[in-house]
Order: sequence, then C-alpha cells, then structure tokens
Amino acid sequence: MRNRERLTRWLIAGPPWLYLLLLFVAPTLIMVAASFGWPGVEGGLAPLWYRDAQGLHFDLTLDNYINLAATSLYGWLFLKSLVYAVVVTLCCLILAYPLALTIARSPKRWRDALLLLVILPFWSNFLVRIYAWMIILGPQAGLSRLVNGALGWLHMAPVALLFSPFAVLIGLVYVHLPFMILPLYANLEKHDPALLDAARDLGARPWQCFWQITFPLSRPGVIAGAILVFIPALGAFAVPDILGGTRGIMIGNVIKMQFLEARDWPFGSALSIVMTLLVLALTAAAAWAARRAGGRIYA
Amino acid sequence: MLKNSSTLRWLSALAVYAFLYLPLLMVILYSFNASRLGTQWTGFTLHWYRVLLQDDEMLRAAYHSLLIATVASAVSTVLGTLAGLALYRYKLRLLPFLIVAPLAIPELLSGVSLLIFFVLINFTLGLASIMLAHIAFCISFVAIVVRSRLAGMDPALVEAARDLGATPWQSFRYITLPLIAPGILAGGLLAFTLSIDDFVITFFTAGVGASTLPLRIYTMIKISVTPEVNAVSTILVLLTLVIVAIASRLAPSALRSGA
Amino acid sequence: MKLFGRRLLAIALLFLALVAQAADTLHFYNWNNYIAPQTLERFKAECGCRVSYDTYGSNDELLAKLAAGAKGYDLLVPTGNAVESLIKQNALQPIDKRKLPHLHNLDPLYLNAAFDKGNVYSIPYAYTITLIGYNEERMRALGIPTDTWAAIFEPGYLARIKGRVTVLDDQRELMAAALKYLGYSINDQDEAHWRQAAQVIMRAKPYWAAFNNTSYIRLLSTGDIWLAHGYSNDMFQAAEVARQAKRGIKIGYAVPREGAVLALDSMVIPRDAPRPDLALRFIDFMLEGRNSAELTNLIGSGNPNRAAMPFVEPAIASNRGIFPDKQVSARLEQLRDLDRRKRRLMSRLWTEIKLR
Repeated sequence: MRNRERLTRWLIAGPPWLYLLLLFVAPTLIMVAASFGWPGVEGGLAPLWYRDAQGLHFDLTLDNYINLAATSLYGWLFLKSLVYAVVVTLCCLILAYPLALTIARSPKRWRDALLLLVILPFWSNFLVRIYAWMIILGPQAGLSRLVNGALGWLHMAPVALLFSPFAVLIGLVYVHLPFMILPLYANLEKHDPALLDAARDLGARPWQCFWQITFPLSRPGVIAGAILVFIPALGAFAVPDILGGTRGIMIGNVIKMQFLEARDWPFGSALSIVMTLLVLALTAAAAWAARRAGGRIYA
Repeated sequence: MLKNSSTLRWLSALAVYAFLYLPLLMVILYSFNASRLGTQWTGFTLHWYRVLLQDDEMLRAAYHSLLIATVASAVSTVLGTLAGLALYRYKLRLLPFLIVAPLAIPELLSGVSLLIFFVLINFTLGLASIMLAHIAFCISFVAIVVRSRLAGMDPALVEAARDLGATPWQSFRYITLPLIAPGILAGGLLAFTLSIDDFVITFFTAGVGASTLPLRIYTMIKISVTPEVNAVSTILVLLTLVIVAIASRLAPSALRSGA
Repeated sequence: MKLFGRRLLAIALLFLALVAQAADTLHFYNWNNYIAPQTLERFKAECGCRVSYDTYGSNDELLAKLAAGAKGYDLLVPTGNAVESLIKQNALQPIDKRKLPHLHNLDPLYLNAAFDKGNVYSIPYAYTITLIGYNEERMRALGIPTDTWAAIFEPGYLARIKGRVTVLDDQRELMAAALKYLGYSINDQDEAHWRQAAQVIMRAKPYWAAFNNTSYIRLLSTGDIWLAHGYSNDMFQAAEVARQAKRGIKIGYAVPREGAVLALDSMVIPRDAPRPDLALRFIDFMLEGRNSAELTNLIGSGNPNRAAMPFVEPAIASNRGIFPDKQVSARLEQLRDLDRRKRRLMSRLWTEIKLR
C-alpha cells in the first residue's frame, strides 16, 4: 500500500517536476554559469570549458560582475527601474481597487460579464495597444491640447505628454492593470457580507468599514496583485522603448541591449542574475508579509 | 450614506473601464481608417482587412500563434493540473518553489535563459522551442488556479466516496475531477491567452520560419506600420470573444468567478 | 476529447512537416518590407520554385538569431558590418560568380567594399543613407540649416525646436553622426573621440523628444515632429505619406555636408544553406535591372544596379537624398564591425547616454 502511495505520488508530481527542472531550473543554472563566461569573439557566448592534452580547462571570469560593480551606472539603473515598478504598482492598486470592489459587490449574474470586460482589451495585440497610446498622448492630439491649454491658462510652461516618464508610467499601468484587478477581485469576492452588516449595525461609517474590515481582509489579494504587477513592470522594455523619451531607459532595455546590439551574452546574464536575486529577495519579503497578514498568496 | 459611496465606487469603476477601453476602441476604429496614418480620419474602408487577407506572412504568423497556443495550453493544462493536485495532496518541498519561481522572474530573463539553454544543448530553434518555452511558464499559472480550486473543495465529499467503497482513482475521476473541472478549464483559458499574446519569451526562442503574430507585428512596427496591424488586432479580439462565447455555452460553470 | 485533440494535432504536425519538406524551396531571410511582392511572384514563376520568407527588423536581430543556432536559410541580406561579422565567423560560403551572368550590371562604386574585398561572399542588393529629414516649412520659418548635423547637435538651433526632434535609437548610427559632426570618421575607434561624441550627444539630448527607429515616419508626416535623424528610404515614405495626407506638410531630406553613413545591404549565402543553387538563381534574378528597380520604386531605397536606372521612376532617380551625386558620395562611409572589447565600451557609453 505504501509503495502504491509512493508510485501515485511520483506519477502525479513527477511530470511537472521533471518538466520544470529541465526547462526552468536548467536554463537558469546555465545562465548563472554564462554570467561567469567570456563573450564570443563575434558575440554570443564563448565556450565555458575546453579539452586539451592536459585535460579539462574552465574559461571563467568574474569580469562581468566587476564591470557591473565598477560604475554607479547600473546601480542607478536598478534603482530607477525599482522606483518605476513601485509607482506603477501603487497606481495599479489605486485604480484597480474600486473596480475590483465594484465587481465583487455587484449582483452575481453581472460579475462574469464585468470580469470579461476587464480582460477583453487584452486579447488584442499588446504592441498595437501601446502604439495607440502614442497617438492618444501625441502633441497634436486632444488630450495634449487640453492639458497644455489648461497649463497655458495657469501661465505654466507646456509639457510633453508623449516621450516622457509620464507616458511610460501610463503605458506600464495600462498593461499591468488586469493583473492587479483579478487577484484583488478573487479575494474580495470571498468576503462575507455579514461582517460589513454587523459593523454597520454597530454604527461604523462606510469609511471605517473599508479601512478596518475590507482592506485588512484583502491584504493577501493586494500582495498577490502587487507581485504580479511589480515583477513584470521591473523587467519591462517594450513600453519604455516605445513611449519613453530620451531618458526612458529601464533595466530591461539594457539587458535586451546586451543580447542584441552588444552581443555580450555573459554581461547580459550577469545583469539578469543580479536582477533575479533582487526580485527574489523582494518576493520573499512580500511572501513573508503575506504570511503575517494571514493567508496564502494564492488562496 | 451607503448609496453615495456606492455611486462613487461605480463612477470610479466606470472611469477605469474607460481607461482600459480607450486604446482598444482607437485601434478598432482606425482599422477602418482610409488614411495610412493613424491620426486623422479620412474615410471608412475595409481596405486594410482585404490587405490582411492577402498577407501570407501575417496569416502564417497567425496560424503559428494559434497552433502554439493550442499545444502549449493543452500540455500545460495537463502538467499544471497534475502539479496543482500534487501541491494540494502532498507536502512537497521543491515543487512549490518550482511553481512560484517562474512567476517571480521577469519574462525577459526567462526568455534569455531559455535562449542560452537551447543554444548550449544544440536544440534548433523553431516552433518547438517556442512551445516548450510557453509550456514552461504556463504550468505555473494553471497549477495555481487548480490548486486554488482544490482548496475551495470540500474534502468531506471525497471521504464520503471512499467510505462508500470507491478506489482512489474512482473518487478522483467521479468526484474530484468534475468539481475542479471549471478550474482546469479556467487555467487552460488563461494559458491560451498568455501564450497567444506572448512577445518577450517568443522573441528570444523563435527560430527559422517560426514567426508568431506578436513577432510579426513587432517587425512590421519596426519598419512600416499600417492600419493592417489594427485590422489584425480587431480580428483577434473578435475571434477570442467568439471562442469564449462558445466555451461559456459548452461549459457554463467553467467561467464562473469561483474558478 | 483531449486524446482526440492530441491525435488530430499529431496528424496536423506531421502534415506540416511533410509540406515543409517540399522540394525546391528557397529559404529567404530578409528585412521586413525589403522586396516588392510582384518581384517575389515573378521569381517564383520563373524558377518554378517556392519561397519561404522570413523577416527581421535589425542586423542585431539577424546576428543574434544566427548566433543562437538558426539554421536552414539559403539567403540573407545583412548590412556591411554584419556581413563583416559573419565572414569573421566563417558563416558564409563564397559566391560562385560564374553563375551570375548579370553581375556586370552593378555600379563599381558599390563593389569591393572594405568588409568584403573582391565580393567573395556578398553581392550588393540595395542601400540607404542615414540623413536628416525635416518639415520644410518649419525649418525655413525658424531659420535652421538642414544640410548639416549641427541641426540635431547644436543647442543654438535645438532650442528653437525643443521636443520636436527625434534621433535614431541605434548606438552605431548616432555615434557615427556625432563623430561626423566633430569631423572624425565614423569608424574612428579612438576612445577619446568616442567620449567626445558622447558628450556632444548628451549636450543635445535634453532638446530631443525621443530615440526612435520607426515611428518618425508617422510623426514627421503628421507634424508632431519637425526634424528627424533617419534613413533615406524612410524619409521617402514619410514624404509620400505627407503628400497623400494633403495636410500641407512637406517633408524634405538631405545628406549633411559633413558626411553620413551609407548602409549597403548585400545578399549572402550561409555556409550551411540547403539550396545554394536557388540562392544563386535569386541573386542573378535581382541583378537584372527591372527586378531590382521594383524595390527602389516601392520604398525609395538606393540601387547599386546601373541597369536598374531606366526602370526607376524619374522622381526617385533624380532625388539626391536617395541617389547622391558624386560630391556627396565621396563623403559617405560604411560602418565597420567592432571587436568585442570595443562593443562593450560602446554599449557602456550608450547606456550612460541613455540613463544620464
């Protein structure tokens, strides 16, 4: 009976375990190894080891990490990307919460349709929607004229909406909003309305109901959404590329650059490893906070 | 007082919906624009849809996208369901980490590491490499959805079945599976959605002749944007809407928000 | 249901594989929008073969894909510096010139480039020049000279067009423009000169709207942008689009007098090409004047083929931005490939430029 249990366990857990080991762990380990290698003469990755008469030799170096640490340039880059990611996450939270709350409190038969409406725009192509923002934020488009008209009325200098940090933020918030809405909704939907009824009966005002009951209960959802927004936002490169101005670069752009223009895969790998460690550290901190808030991240 | 706060909530929700839909509506609108430029409306036309239907490369890319999404979501649904089950039933140490870690890593890094991996093991890039890559990141999503669904299932049902003499396989097949079926379907749909619009990972793992729709649009956008791209996007939205509508007819409980 | 679906899929994949193996297919990997559809159709009819067509958006993408082991292409069209890199990697096979009866059609000016002396591995396909495109009326009204790189680098001029200028998002191209502005060669590898060029760029950066490789065509033709650093064929398209939009915007473009980058794209055959014979047929096909002229007429790219000139539309043939005269030609240079140390330095400089 014991063996049967063991076998069943292997049959169930085995396949995904094996797949992820091969196609997630192995590539990641290889990337770690690559970060200690040299770039190939014509780009790419030089062989990490070679055999000759004396046996097996390794051709490894700390050069990439030294390069990384040698200048404050990359430190600033990480910091800037972190700040952007945090701001995007906060904006997503502020925009998503009322929407998620509204859907969760709406009549049951409406909820599916409302959720579908949230996801629908994201079935068209991602890049095309970003390009639509280029038009919406363009200097001659309605929005820009409105804003600059108002600024002119207030005797302030005109601003460029497109090709600015503002455009990058809008783009990133836009792209990641559903990832905040869905986990928040999944959590809010499970709240027992009886709690709120009881609070109201005891004389609590709506604002108090929210801050003292709804929001704390929704913390696992908030954290799940925050993780699902923060991490991709940190590694974004398409949005900064298209909507960012001359100073819109983020860490994702630089990493992509190493794999394309610079053809310097080891350095790109080193940057990636550092970024991964950063993200893992932050995720671990968030998971710890989630446990303290009393709930699994994916409950 | 409550009415006021609820009105406020509805208004802000509407505002967010408007924010979400503005670009999409623009995209759809301008797919009918006679002008090549996306800025001024010069007349209604179906010209770009005609161009699209004659664009072999685009159609081939669309076909690839659908093929990859179908295979990737099918395989990752199976593997993800297994993983979700395993996470729920057994106390494993490594699998939870393996499931959550891919989500903690930005797509850029996954794509890049898979590229290096494929190159190092001399695996020729092509449609297969894209599929393998997509399955890898979709498993996590499906696993989490399925596990969440399992967590919401009443274990007493399975116990009752066992008490009545059902074997583990029977109780799984006749009790657990139907109950988590909505979760599995939801996970599958999620995987399909993620795969069909994936750009970053596909960008790094695509090979000879293995263009997908996002990649094709990216190359087009780099050189010459025409409203043909808008037409493709509009059709994609309509197509997915149709698929979801059909799915909700076939399995009405699958898309219930409880999944 | 799942099992049936899987079986269907297996059959579909098998069918696909069989179809892909169909004989006589030329695997062509080219820039996007870099061949007229009717040219491809005519080739398919003449040679009785099929063409499997893939596209890339930049040389870096091409090189990265090849470095990642992409196989199975018969024909590529890289720019000079990418050809150089491929030759160094021993990735190309020599071209059998005996199979190219129309080779003599090419203008000697574009043969024997530094990256492939004697054209052992490459045959010129088309070229573009990196120059300045501008909104004619605005530049005239603001009194900004458009025949010099100073238009995008001098704060004196830039102050009048702040936020209305875009430059290419390409480290080599922008550095080349800055080097030319300073009076150096675009292939100057002196680190001190590079830092000078980076300074010039950073001084001008606050006035620029964005680094942009693609949208400037649209932005120029709608009047959102008044001055753009870009490619001659893109400027040609921008001018066309602006003309058709009938909003009174006229786009002009000129090669700056200090000199500019000439990007010569050449047809090459990878060493592991499955059908080099088909590739050679295509190369010779494109060496015929009529065929290569179709691309020029379509996108306004430069044509190194003398026999093509009678077939090129007069408006394009007389355009000095696309077909430069001898004086301007003398000041054009082609980019060379960099070694890995220099690539790293360039990449670091570029990151700095972008971040600060």
